[in-house]
Amino acid sequence: MVYFSGLSDALRMTFVQIMILSAIAIVIFLYGMIGNLQKWGTGVTGYALEPKEGQKGSAIRFLKTWWAQVTAESHHSGKPILEILILDILFQRRILKRSGLRWFMHICIFAGWMSLFALSGLMFSVEMTEMIGIKLPFTAAVFREWLAIPNYIFGYILLIGVIIAVIRRLFVSEVRQASIMYDWILLAGVFIITISGFIADGIRTGFIWSFGLDPSAAPPAALFHSIISLLFCIAYIPYSKYIHVIATPLAILANKGGE
Amino acid sequence: MAKKAPSIDTKNLTAVQLMELDSCTRCGECVKWCPTYAASGQNPGLAPRDKILRWREFMNKSYGIKAKLFGPTEIPQSELEEFKDDVHSCTTCGICATVCESGINTVELWEALRANLVKKGIGPYGKQNAFPKVIGQYHNPYMKDQKDRLNWVPADVKIEDKADIVYFTGCTAGYNQLALAFATSRVLNKLGIKFAMLGEEEWCCGSALIRTGQAHINDVPRQLAKHNVEALKKKGAKKVLYACAGCFRASKVDWPRLLGEELPFEVIHVAEFLAGLIKEDKVKWVKPINKTVTYHDPCHLGRHVGVFDAPRYVLSHIPGVKFVEMENSKEFQRCCGAGGGVKAGLPDLALGVAESRVKDAVEINADILSSCCPFCKRNLSDGRDSLKVDIVVEDVIEMVAEALGLETS
Repeated sequence: MVYFSGLSDALRMTFVQIMILSAIAIVIFLYGMIGNLQKWGTGVTGYALEPKEGQKGSAIRFLKTWWAQVTAESHHSGKPILEILILDILFQRRILKRSGLRWFMHICIFAGWMSLFALSGLMFSVEMTEMIGIKLPFTAAVFREWLAIPNYIFGYILLIGVIIAVIRRLFVSEVRQASIMYDWILLAGVFIITISGFIADGIRTGFIWSFGLDPSAAPPAALFHSIISLLFCIAYIPYSKYIHVIATPLAILANKGGE
Repeated sequence: MAKKAPSIDTKNLTAVQLMELDSCTRCGECVKWCPTYAASGQNPGLAPRDKILRWREFMNKSYGIKAKLFGPTEIPQSELEEFKDDVHSCTTCGICATVCESGINTVELWEALRANLVKKGIGPYGKQNAFPKVIGQYHNPYMKDQKDRLNWVPADVKIEDKADIVYFTGCTAGYNQLALAFATSRVLNKLGIKFAMLGEEEWCCGSALIRTGQAHINDVPRQLAKHNVEALKKKGAKKVLYACAGCFRASKVDWPRLLGEELPFEVIHVAEFLAGLIKEDKVKWVKPINKTVTYHDPCHLGRHVGVFDAPRYVLSHIPGVKFVEMENSKEFQRCCGAGGGVKAGLPDLALGVAESRVKDAVEINADILSSCCPFCKRNLSDGRDSLKVDIVVEDVIEMVAEALGLETS
């Protein structure tokens, strides 16, 4: 069984390769997330309480405490959940209030990353549907071509965000001084993923980002892009600063959009 | 072999607060705005971001994935002591929460961290550790006799035995800053508002204990809250008025939490009450105050509870007042430096913050720097005296009294 990722049979990566990688990435991600939920769940469930003697961290306790806070009445800034979801989480107005440039950078990274992730998921589900024999009004190959332009658009949006982030860290003194090696590693990770995605696609199609490379290099290039995307953008989240992708929306919701 | 115990525990820290530690993106906005970080000469340990990251590291060393697999890593006692000093060098003003892009409720986090460490025997800071004993014994932080609670009441002030409205004076106004109590009571009389007071049945609101992480010691704040609520009920209170932002915040936010139930009366700051009367055209001014006036938002009234407009509304309706805003105002107000136990524990730091705030008022050429809190007034006055600048620091209610032709002494 092959996974559709090229123009011809010779350029296809095996389905097994991708499935194994995905499974590994998801297992690593889930293990880390359960670890984080349990760590958070070592906390108490309400104001001024103490954990019971010998009590272990519990993901369920965290989720219950979080939900209780989300639904509790606020004495101050009680905004409706829908407003918080749209304006504070998707539109990220708390960042916009503080800095227009940082908001533009972050929204580019956020929109680019999330959209590409969603488009990849969509493509994967169409291919899976085709593989198990369910007839769709279009083939996976056609669907891939439909996604080509949105993939490019969101890829460039992500690239713009990453480039701004790199430039800020290099040339804005207060950002540079506050940066640690860890920030650079994470930023380099996103940068390499973005660029490798463009290059893998460029080699396959022979367009802008091919750099004259032979189309036979397309499968390993795509495999490289897939590996680091899965490992860095999924598996690494619970173990790194990327955890804010999950924790920040949860914090904003729990605190009713913040003060 | 027995597994090593983590160096820290999670007492008082909710599961959501532990998650908030991981939501920090290190953007640094809190560092830019923190008044104690600035007044300390940018001591890195005082930056809110630094405190969040340190406790996050402590949590990971104690309960993270690595700790789960290989056992917790020990945190030296000296690091915890240093952390205690830094977390107590915070006025809990809440500007870090206002500007936090991750929406972290930092005030609650600092207070929970303080309580957590105090329970571990680390902290509070300096003289703050006398609060539980003093307040528990005397029911006020000034070691005054409860029988003297109403000694300040002048002969011309009429107080009802029972009334729908009860004025909760607060320890500072009742014992030390009498001008605030004179002004509030005379203004209420002048406007025909019948009110009662608790007298010797008024106990400290407990704010100092809660803010410094000592709420659990001998259960004092809960007992204070319970006693005050019962006493207020006996007076027939439907509305309880406060001229002290600290007492107001404690009553509105902390008492219901300590008691586990909503209060059976409305908690209202006197500035809100007066704004309502002005809107109903019930205030007849008799004397203009031809001064340029600015307003400093007390953290406990503004950012903590959201009362920003009422004091401004009152000031802008006093005849003759030219109201001007300082650059940092409303939700972005710069703290006076007195809160969170800093005035008692770190007076030099408190003074440094106050000087910055007084400079804000001087920059806009204000004649009067007004506020709605006796602690702010005290610390801003100290800042003014330290800078040797010519500016009057006065409570809004004192200005109202003056504009109504009333004495405040």
